[in-house]
Amino acid sequence: MRRHLITLVVVLAIAWGGVAAALAFGVTPILGLDLKGGTSVALRAPDGTDPEVLAKAVEVMRRRIESFGSVQEPEIQISGETSVLVQLPGVTDRQRALAAIGQTGQLSFRPVLEASLLVSPLLIPDIESATTTTGAGDTTTAAGADETTTTSEPTTTTTFPSGVDPATGLTIEDDPTHEAWLAEYAEDGSVIWVYHVGPSQLGGADLDNALAGFAGGATAIGQWQVQLDLSTEGDGKFQELTKTAAAYPIGDPRRQIAIVLDGEVVSAPQVGEDVDPNVGISGGSAVITMGTGDNQQQEAQDLAVVLRYGSLPVAFERDQVQNVSATLGADSLNAGLVAGAGGLILVALFVVLYYRSLGLVTVVGLSVFGSLLLVVIGLLGRYMGTALTLAGVTGIIVSIGITADSYIVFYERVKEEIRNKRTLHAAVDEGFSRAFRTILTADTVSMLAAVLLWLLAVGPVKGFALILGIATFLDIVVAYYFTRNAVWIMARTRMGTGGWFSIEGAGGRPVGEAAL
Amino acid sequence: MSLFGRLYRGETSYDFVGARRRFLVISSVLLVASLLSLAIRHVNLSLDFRGGVAVETHNPAGAGVGDVRAALAPLGLSNARIQLLADGDELRVQTEALDADRADELVRAVAQVAGTSVTETSVDEVGPTFGAQIAERALLALVVFLGAVVLFMTWRLEWKMALSGITALFHDLIITFGVYSITGFEVTPATVIAILTILGYSLYDTVVVFDKVKENMEASDRGTFTDLVNKSMNQVLMRSVNTSLTSLLPVGSLLLVGSFLLGARTLLDFALALFVGIAAGTYSSIAVASPLLAVWKEGEEEWTRIRRRLDRFSGEAALPSGRVTPTLETARPRPATGATPRPPKKRRR
Repeated sequence: MRRHLITLVVVLAIAWGGVAAALAFGVTPILGLDLKGGTSVALRAPDGTDPEVLAKAVEVMRRRIESFGSVQEPEIQISGETSVLVQLPGVTDRQRALAAIGQTGQLSFRPVLEASLLVSPLLIPDIESATTTTGAGDTTTAAGADETTTTSEPTTTTTFPSGVDPATGLTIEDDPTHEAWLAEYAEDGSVIWVYHVGPSQLGGADLDNALAGFAGGATAIGQWQVQLDLSTEGDGKFQELTKTAAAYPIGDPRRQIAIVLDGEVVSAPQVGEDVDPNVGISGGSAVITMGTGDNQQQEAQDLAVVLRYGSLPVAFERDQVQNVSATLGADSLNAGLVAGAGGLILVALFVVLYYRSLGLVTVVGLSVFGSLLLVVIGLLGRYMGTALTLAGVTGIIVSIGITADSYIVFYERVKEEIRNKRTLHAAVDEGFSRAFRTILTADTVSMLAAVLLWLLAVGPVKGFALILGIATFLDIVVAYYFTRNAVWIMARTRMGTGGWFSIEGAGGRPVGEAAL
Repeated sequence: MSLFGRLYRGETSYDFVGARRRFLVISSVLLVASLLSLAIRHVNLSLDFRGGVAVETHNPAGAGVGDVRAALAPLGLSNARIQLLADGDELRVQTEALDADRADELVRAVAQVAGTSVTETSVDEVGPTFGAQIAERALLALVVFLGAVVLFMTWRLEWKMALSGITALFHDLIITFGVYSITGFEVTPATVIAILTILGYSLYDTVVVFDKVKENMEASDRGTFTDLVNKSMNQVLMRSVNTSLTSLLPVGSLLLVGSFLLGARTLLDFALALFVGIAAGTYSSIAVASPLLAVWKEGEEEWTRIRRRLDRFSGEAALPSGRVTPTLETARPRPATGATPRPPKKRRR
């Protein structure tokens, strides 16, 4: 008796104490993005992509996402041979998320040859474009660059250089090794500046690092900045580029450097006042000053990210983009909880009505099962980052049925043994050992399904399989450690033989009839 | 005693195997209807399998289908499928696959007409090959699972039981897909999950029945195999019914909630497949797997011999000598309450 009682108390303590502890320490399940809102993107690389290249691309994406900030628990996984699944819970701004992971861009630093507001310089009559380029500096060092400028300058508006769209005056397909007319866009997609830029003089590979930061500097007001660290090779190129630019006076567009990603000008900072045109910016690092304010902070951070992880090694195709708004996610969670609670209450009512006192064991058992499941899911979330998805919630609801079955198998066995005129104690013992064998067999099939689904399936099916597997395992544990002991003890109380509501009553043995 | 009373006490003696012709007719009708519908109407595959864009949002502006269609017309998307869900509180728009920019335009247009913002909008954008991948992986999982189950059941029970179980499983799968085809409900990835679960349920049920058959085979060496199966099935009948009930209660609650609450579309997809599948699974373990096994095993030499011997005995018993052969007791299905004491408990592997 004592042994059974101790086991029972220990099981209850682990389950209920576990839940209490989990709640106290905040180890609650992490909700998947389909329950709390977020964005999930499935990308596919071309067939035959080297797994190492894929891993590198995932690494780049991961850093980009982390740098964008405000993403809790981003999850990026390679599924299958060429597929990558990116999950960004809490990110409901679809475009920003896609920009963070999808940009395959090629980064280049290029000299600005001329610039004009809102429209392409190619669409502006000749005189104006000439005025923009006047004020050529009094430098001698930048002769080479200067020559390119003058020779390539279009002098008429009727003929467009090759590769330029006559309607917009912008280069259609940017090739960094050639000059181009490229635009800088505002957030709403409208053109702010159009730059005529020369061939790339510095690529993404020449940069070692780029960091956004807030610097007090010499001036009284602090500024948001992006600090660039150049590689040894990049240092020389950058010095050459800035030397040429610094030759032009302040305010001249040619003093600007265009940072181009994927044919779009991301930023075009002007070379600072105090840069010596004979030296340029040297020393392997430079600072781009953005200004103050929240907007500038965002800009600085985004620019730093683009500079650091400008290009992905492969071009991905978007297979699926799923974007769940927070309200719809909450609705789903709500619906799942209501359905689960409703299902539990119905099952509890049914087993108590049908199995009477044994049904009470099931009700307590379900709470033990549910508590353990909650703790396991919470722990998985905490230590493995596994989120509970809508598919997982349905898995939990399904597992109610599976675990209820174990009780039914057991109870039907006990009833059968009682009908065979066994004593109550023998019926319970014999009933369990026989029922447990059936439970094990049936649970093995469930477990097999869960494991195989988890190994082979993709996407939401995986989340479902995981919960199913955990639930099946817990079912066996609860049956062996809780149900068996609880019924064993109950058989020795008035609940065992005390009439209609007792185990014997449920087994159909008339009150007072002796066992064999 | 009432039928329920007898059911409750496990004292029914329904001749399941004897009713196999009736089951055969029912199953055939269901299968033929399912297969015909599958062949003619196919199944309504969701966007996830065809590729396309689905936008779903709350609808505080109370936009009607016409409003939405008008708003989409400038985008050239007037052929989009527009649905009002949950009494018009929720709006769902589906189109064919679009490129990224047009998809963004669509999202903006829908959010505007519904009176919400872009970030309050759920968007599902699926490339045309994505669904094929899911289906392919699910099919792979299915094949491997079936192989593993056959091996497991062969080892734990026996190979004829394994094959009977798998046959019942296919029966359930075809009928479930048939219901989807006939009703025209969408087959979504959630449905695929549900169908994979049904595999588990269907086999689980069959395994419990066969486990009992095997136990009775070991416990008694008298009676024909058909009697054995009938006896086993009557013994586990209440378990089958109750298990199905306790499984169907939560799923039914899902169905109910899915039909009335917001945001439960995935749950609804899932619940329907489960509901049909579990019902079919319970039926098939009784009406397909077990009779099939009984008929098959009766053909075995050992069981044919027993049957012949029993037939001979019952012939003798009909003689006017009045002597009752003790074996007569087990020749007909009888409740397990008989006065015969249980054979000594056997320890199993």
